[in-house]
Amino acid sequence: MRRHWAQPAVAVIAAMTLAGCGLGSTGASEDAGGQVTGEVKGKVSLQTWALKPKFTDYLQSVIDAFEKKYPGVQVDWLDQPGDGYSDKVLSQAAGGGLPDVTNLPPDFALPLVKQGLLLDVAKADPKLAEDYVAGGVDAYRFAGRTGAYGYPWYLNTDVNYWNSELLTKYGLDPKKLPTSLDELIAQARTVKEKSGGKAYLMSRKPGLGDLANAGVRIMSEDGRSFTFNTPEAAALLDKYRDAYKQGLLPQDVLTDKYAGNAKLFNAGAVAWTTGGGNYITGLATDNPSLAPKVVPSPAMGTPPLYVQGLSVSQRSKNLPAAIALARWVTNAENQAAFAHLTSIFPSTKASAGDPFFSRSDGTNAGDAKVIAFTSLAKAAMLQPVQVDGAMSDIVNQQIALAVSGGTTSRKALDDAVAKCNQLLQN
Amino acid sequence: MTHRRWFTPWLLVAPALVWLAVFNIWPSVNTVILSFTNAKPLGGGHFVGLDNFHRALTDDQLVDALLNSIVYMLVCLPLLTLLPLLMAVLVEKKLPGITFFRTAFYTPVIASAVVVALIWGWVLDDRGLVNGVTQQLGLAGGPLPFLTDRWLLLFSAIGLTVWKGLGYYMVIYLSALGNVGRELHEAAAVDGAGAVRRFYHVTLPGVRSTMLLVSVLISVSALRVFSELYILSDGTGGPGGRDMSVVMLIQMYSRGFTGHLGYASALSLLLFAVTIGPMLLLLRLNRKAA
Repeated sequence: MRRHWAQPAVAVIAAMTLAGCGLGSTGASEDAGGQVTGEVKGKVSLQTWALKPKFTDYLQSVIDAFEKKYPGVQVDWLDQPGDGYSDKVLSQAAGGGLPDVTNLPPDFALPLVKQGLLLDVAKADPKLAEDYVAGGVDAYRFAGRTGAYGYPWYLNTDVNYWNSELLTKYGLDPKKLPTSLDELIAQARTVKEKSGGKAYLMSRKPGLGDLANAGVRIMSEDGRSFTFNTPEAAALLDKYRDAYKQGLLPQDVLTDKYAGNAKLFNAGAVAWTTGGGNYITGLATDNPSLAPKVVPSPAMGTPPLYVQGLSVSQRSKNLPAAIALARWVTNAENQAAFAHLTSIFPSTKASAGDPFFSRSDGTNAGDAKVIAFTSLAKAAMLQPVQVDGAMSDIVNQQIALAVSGGTTSRKALDDAVAKCNQLLQN
Repeated sequence: MTHRRWFTPWLLVAPALVWLAVFNIWPSVNTVILSFTNAKPLGGGHFVGLDNFHRALTDDQLVDALLNSIVYMLVCLPLLTLLPLLMAVLVEKKLPGITFFRTAFYTPVIASAVVVALIWGWVLDDRGLVNGVTQQLGLAGGPLPFLTDRWLLLFSAIGLTVWKGLGYYMVIYLSALGNVGRELHEAAAVDGAGAVRRFYHVTLPGVRSTMLLVSVLISVSALRVFSELYILSDGTGGPGGRDMSVVMLIQMYSRGFTGHLGYASALSLLLFAVTIGPMLLLLRLNRKAA
């Protein structure tokens, strides 16, 4: 009896297996240089990160225009909520269901690249480097690998924000803002003394970005080991430890409450914070009386570069359409339109001359936008993308231990490097 | 004629068996397998033998985490075994308005652990209620570091656990007290025993097996503590991560794209080995009592 159904079942499985061999056929082809060519048609999925509902109209119009340009294409747009986005992408990737085009910051992209899940778009699209700013493209180049694995979409960086009222109240001049850590600590001491310890200027503990900013090399060039346990790094932590001991920072900065920094600033308890180019616009809603008193200034040292990009799945069934879609969403016109809606900055070279970004309207929010835009020219990713969640925790813990005086700065850094290296090699 | 087939019972229990196999048995077996590999969430791991266990046993973070979990258990155990019993004895009496007190004591139990920890976080913060009051009254020169001092953070979390758990264990004791015969109390009273002696000689022996059960429940949940410490320390386990529990350590290594699943699985098995201790102790004590 069993053989009656067993034989057809084997035949069906065999047929499916054979049919499966042809599933990758897309009509796409690669030339000798690896460039993907072929007709832009078929169904492609696009996954974004928390753009609905605020930017639904914008992105839908971008997609509609793409479908109009390529009538043979149908775009299936999926927007994932902000919380748990990495888990969602992880389950998609693990289950073989990564969308054709996915919004991935570089640190999310790297593990997928290691598994061969993302397309080398520098190879597939040789005009990548011509059209996008180098910093954006470089963010998707990873140590030890050739190629680039994402179209840079939009960029951002940090600007310093100062509460001019608090500064003046505690004897500081908002026109002579600190431009280095030493000046910051000196002014923080003044605020502490004149406020009787009620107000603070500094309210965050240092991180890897601060070490990089102090000239410390975080990783070896081949990306195989961490190297931030240097005397310079220890000296920086020592400065923070002394400042903490003197009460120049709130006690709770050691429990990873960096978000608390902005909260304290919004509440008027701290006179300095950092934020993106649109920070004052958001503050105008949270604390309308404080917003006009805020003075922006460029970030100290090298400004951090935050990059969002679109990566293409290596397993896309319609590669030419997927590449065309990623390029379309990130082209200069569409990025400029996006930047006009919210305070992000485009990653295309053609956007450099847009006066919208380079001229202030005279308000402090406009000044901040211009400062952020001009800072992008020298901004860099200060923390290597190899630093994963567990490493980040270890580094934060060890830095907190050093700043609290629980161990020496050198030992904390040595321990952090040893543990991070262990995780890196695992 | 009724025609019974041998597999009919199996068909009936099959959904439950499949559920058990997929969601209970396989994950447990998989954890054991993973603990011998350097697996990542996206695959690619290979067999590394006992490396993960060797690393775990020489990891000072695990030593700290284990110490914290054990201190947590040792402090919670007597408090949560005895205080709810005393509360249950008090609210057992049929007095006007006693339902209000029973409900009030039980209310923290139904509140989400996350919400409770967030509220306690605000209360114990440098700028929170407790520090505000102590400073206003001149009891402290500056804010007390409830959330930034290693031991204060741990004991703040223990306080939260005890406060939240009192009502839950009180209800368990209430049902047990209902089974202690009233006539025993009356007989003891006739013999001249006061309230304390009646509690010691009648109530306690009557609820002994419940106390054992409660002790095991407390021990196991204290060893697996997570939310309280995680939220009070904002995920860091305090300065230097010195207040991490073993569960927080497992979470730290297992999350995200690059989670270190092999090492996290080895830590899970070590936690399992530690947790099984109280269970075995209960079996032994139960056998002795019998």
